[in-house]
Amino acid sequence: MNKRSAVAFAAAGAALSLGLSACGGGGGETTPADGSSGAPAAAEAFNAGLEAVFNPSDKKGGVLKMAISEDWDSVDPGDTYYALSWNLIRIYGRSLVTYTPAPGAEGRKLSPDLAESLGESSDDGKTWTYKLRAGLKFEDGTPITSKDVKYAVLRSMDKETLVNGPTYFNDWLDLPKDFKSVYKTPDVNTDSAIETPDDQTIVFHLKKAYAGFDNFAALPGTIPVPKDKDTGVKYREKVIASGPYKFDKVEPGKQYTLVRNEHWDPATDPIRKALPDSYEISLGVNADDLDNRVLAGDLHIDLAGSGVQPAALGRVLGDPALKARADNPTGARTWYTSIMSNVPPLDNVDCRRAIIFAADRVGLQNAYGGEFAGGDIATGLMPPSIGGWKKLDLYPTGTGDVEKAKEALTACGKPEGFETVMAYRADRPKEKAIAESLQQSLGKAGIKLDLKGYPTGDYFALYAGKPDFVKKNGIGLATNGWGADWNDGFGFMSQIVDSRTIRESGGNYNLSITDKEIDAKIDEALLETDVAKRDAIWGEIDQRVMEQAYVLPSVWSKSVLVRPQGATNVFVTGAFDMYDYLNLGLE
Amino acid sequence: MVTYIIRRLVGALLMLVIVSMVTFSIFFVIPRIAGATAEDFASRYMGRSADAEMIAVTAEKLGFNDPIPVQYGRWISGVFVGSEFDTGASIEECPAPCFGYSFIRRQPVWPDLVDRIPVTLSLAVGASVIWLIGGVATGVLSALRKGTIFDRAAMSIALAGVSLPIFFTGIVSLVVFSYGLGITAPGGSFTPFLENPAQWAYSLLLPWITLAFLYAASYARLTRAGMLETMSEDYIRTARAKGMRESKVVVKHGLRAALTPILTIFGLDLGLLLGGAVLTESTFSLKGIGDYAVQAIVTNDLPKIMGVTMVAALFVVLASLIVDLLYAVVDPRVRLG
Amino acid sequence: MTAPLDAPGKTAEVPPEAVLAGAGVKAIQGRSLGQIAWMRLKRDKVALAGAGVVVLLIITAISAPLIVDVFGHPPNEFHQEMIDTSTMTPKGGTGISGDFLFGVEPVNGRDLFSRVVYGARISLLIAVLATLLSVVIGTAMGVMAGYFGGWVDTLISRTMDVFLAFPLLVFAMALVGVLGQFEQNLGVTGDTLRIGLLIFVIGFFNWPYIGRIIRGQTLSLREREFVDAARSLGARGPYILFREILPNLIAPILIYATLLIPTNVLFEAALSFLGVGIQAPTATWGGMLSQAVKFYNVPHFMFFPGMAIFITVLAFNLFGDGLRDALDPKTSR
Repeated sequence: MNKRSAVAFAAAGAALSLGLSACGGGGGETTPADGSSGAPAAAEAFNAGLEAVFNPSDKKGGVLKMAISEDWDSVDPGDTYYALSWNLIRIYGRSLVTYTPAPGAEGRKLSPDLAESLGESSDDGKTWTYKLRAGLKFEDGTPITSKDVKYAVLRSMDKETLVNGPTYFNDWLDLPKDFKSVYKTPDVNTDSAIETPDDQTIVFHLKKAYAGFDNFAALPGTIPVPKDKDTGVKYREKVIASGPYKFDKVEPGKQYTLVRNEHWDPATDPIRKALPDSYEISLGVNADDLDNRVLAGDLHIDLAGSGVQPAALGRVLGDPALKARADNPTGARTWYTSIMSNVPPLDNVDCRRAIIFAADRVGLQNAYGGEFAGGDIATGLMPPSIGGWKKLDLYPTGTGDVEKAKEALTACGKPEGFETVMAYRADRPKEKAIAESLQQSLGKAGIKLDLKGYPTGDYFALYAGKPDFVKKNGIGLATNGWGADWNDGFGFMSQIVDSRTIRESGGNYNLSITDKEIDAKIDEALLETDVAKRDAIWGEIDQRVMEQAYVLPSVWSKSVLVRPQGATNVFVTGAFDMYDYLNLGLE
Repeated sequence: MVTYIIRRLVGALLMLVIVSMVTFSIFFVIPRIAGATAEDFASRYMGRSADAEMIAVTAEKLGFNDPIPVQYGRWISGVFVGSEFDTGASIEECPAPCFGYSFIRRQPVWPDLVDRIPVTLSLAVGASVIWLIGGVATGVLSALRKGTIFDRAAMSIALAGVSLPIFFTGIVSLVVFSYGLGITAPGGSFTPFLENPAQWAYSLLLPWITLAFLYAASYARLTRAGMLETMSEDYIRTARAKGMRESKVVVKHGLRAALTPILTIFGLDLGLLLGGAVLTESTFSLKGIGDYAVQAIVTNDLPKIMGVTMVAALFVVLASLIVDLLYAVVDPRVRLG
Repeated sequence: MTAPLDAPGKTAEVPPEAVLAGAGVKAIQGRSLGQIAWMRLKRDKVALAGAGVVVLLIITAISAPLIVDVFGHPPNEFHQEMIDTSTMTPKGGTGISGDFLFGVEPVNGRDLFSRVVYGARISLLIAVLATLLSVVIGTAMGVMAGYFGGWVDTLISRTMDVFLAFPLLVFAMALVGVLGQFEQNLGVTGDTLRIGLLIFVIGFFNWPYIGRIIRGQTLSLREREFVDAARSLGARGPYILFREILPNLIAPILIYATLLIPTNVLFEAALSFLGVGIQAPTATWGGMLSQAVKFYNVPHFMFFPGMAIFITVLAFNLFGDGLRDALDPKTSR
């Protein structure tokens, strides 16, 4: 499913107290080898944090100040689907395996966290076993056992109580038929799906083999939850920490404060440095104000990690001193427009192709923010960081080719063009800009668009993602966007091109690709055990999507991030394409 | 006197009932007329993972298939005694006063509102003090110095004040004073009064001034017009003829009479402001009731919208009631009427 | 938030002799109220200026397509070449030139001048029609309440109180949001329905302002001598209403309608600013301002729509003020 990146949106906010980040106080143990404590700040340069660690240090202490303009779904590990949350959660929770805190592509590699090593597969990839390390404890001192991990996974599957998280476990674990949920059917034996032969071992049984199960094990759903402290949907108000920090103040919608978890044993945790003394997270801070504060040094991190606002963008890119503090990562995310192949006349492939020919690709890039803040013009649905990516060259990427568009229109029997409705998320200015751009560029070829904005919250549930609403309202185009849950073809494509994920009742992300060839190829890919061959199949799926013009991709998203002043170990992780929140420290 | 109070109270209650009925029909009856079904309501509540069956079940359980009066009755009684929502998956509790339960955020509406009321209250009360004093004083002075430079200048500024949209002045002053010069607090930095009164005032300074400017302008105009009319009355001439000091004439006779309509409007304005200074809160990113309303509408969160509308209307009615009761204290004619 | 109107004050009593004396006219011929008012208005330079601007605005709104044809570019047309693609801001800051009188919008390079001019159309159309609606309903209700008195008056007055008790903006937002569902369920497209909706919502919520004033005026007119005279001559209700009372209401109706229009302009701008007004890509002043907030580093984007609103509202206010002063000699400036 979609790992959402929080889109900045002006909202109100409670204050963060002023004052620059204090240079950390007592108790500093510094490792002389990397120590840059006391050493002059590293040289600022554009993209210095992209592939290398900027300002490395092991100095402990200080308060890390983060803020975000919009709230995210939940701090409950079993109930969250935002990239920023999956990034942040590793501070207070430990999953079976996790993404290595390293810059760039290294950050996509998985390292064992609660487990001693990556999963051991058996039974041809249908069974996966993990052994937990010794000495793991929750914040109250109780030991973490495999049963806590099992419980966490099971509870995260209850989509009626915890509606937000991904459904990979639901779809893949071999559950008994009478199991509904840990809350409704707590006594059903689920050993067929997850076994815990002893306190240190956990075994997963899948319905079908899947070679990439470690990706599932990295999901926050495997962060252990003690059953006796689980309060269902209210757990988010008191999450029991397994990581180096625990919640101190919890004011949902306003702020979170985290302090050190004394029961976290660094000896059990080779990846975390746990440098700051505490974290202060403010929610609902005005987006422009947030940027100003980061630039001024009042705040360290914009938690959303999706880049600065347009106003700050001008400042950052225009001022060489500020530009030197910026990093410009490319994300595993594509912003695109779905072309509904079940709404006439777009059921004809040439009519669909006409749309892509006529579209002003540069204009679409500008709508998303231009070459720095928007992204590179996308030639296919899959972003370049996904294995199996090939550069496709099926359509021009200029400002729109009216000639070719008219040819395609003639081929599909509509030489004079046609009319259709375009849906977009009304409260996302960039999507509004996309819609306006397409209206202009397609209009030149005779394709008239009627623009309709819908509220983001219900967009997939009730409007663009609901098949009969789409048909009834003649919606031919709908803005869309997708970020990979993890960087392989399955993690990116599975939910958006597989026709079997489409539900009549709504809530679809695959807005209308129903292509038997693609479905067949997906099945092929899932069975393929050789990684290179498997990736190649996903590349072919991408190609078919574009040949059949199911999708008009706009950009592979990029963002302009600003490095915090006074922080250490700043780098962009390839896992989330934003600053890695795990090992940030203070100077 | 007592009958007057009772009549006013009954009137206020009736008003609230009517407002609640209108609010309810807007959200539950009008969509029906537009073709919405019980399932549409339920799916809006449920979020994206529900399938058709679950939605139908939820629609039944949440009572969307019941006749409208029953639904209304249930909602109203919920306000007084609280209610429970059985979605089929879980039972959500909504303690009294239950103005609604937001399924999208999985929280009752009221606690959120309670959190936000102090913000709106701070904004409204602070600004209202400034504009009342400033506006009335300016109006009185303008009336007394009719035709002078002061009068012309003040009235021109006042005219400008009522002609500028507050979201424009707000943004401009934010950009100039907060982002640019850095002398006022940036948007969204509200500190509760009890935490730090100095910081509280500082964080609200710009919104207060911007909001007060708008209202002070119109109050200045009103006061001036009212004063001019009053001061030309016969009894003023009489008072002067009796040898009363001019300041006493102005304040005790002139202003007193001119003030009555001003106070009516003040009560209403304050009440409306408390009900949600939507534009100011939006512009300055203050987490008050108005901002809550905007959020609710943008996310299409029906229970929140209803809850906010009701609470806002409650404030307005309350404010009007208080003004009416104050009238009874101040003006004996009212008591008898 | 509205630009509040004056409280319902005393009615406009016009003792003709006093005015005549003040005007220094020698003939004893009576002058009609209209003529007196016109004379006073002509002397009020500021009000005339306001009226002039109003006329200019109306002409602009009506001939928007022509103006844009000559001086600008189609309002929704993109001009990407004017935009610096790294920062998404207009090249050279604003893009103001002979070709683009007000410069261009960031990101898409749309001609700001055209958009402001077309925005005038929308704002004035909605404000004027909404005011018309308010006036029609308000006058009807006010006259009935004032003339018939009794339970009719109580009913109408209480209804007006209820309307005034509603948190206007919140309610309008919610109503437009809910009624917007109408559009979706009916599958209707285009701006027209939304414009109609806005006219209805704005007009419908503002009628009590007119209603209260008209009611007050009617109440006092009812007791005047000429009404008694007409009655004693045998005239009945409807005759008195139409021939005696209504003509005397024209003045306050005119005044308060003129003063209501700017309120409605601000109201529509506020709704557009909050996102519930006319939808993209149609240009509205409020909508442009809400986009401009994000791009506060491109100040001209904020300036022109904001000034447009300001000038429009100011002009109507000045004219309305002047009209009121002209028709109500008691409040001499």
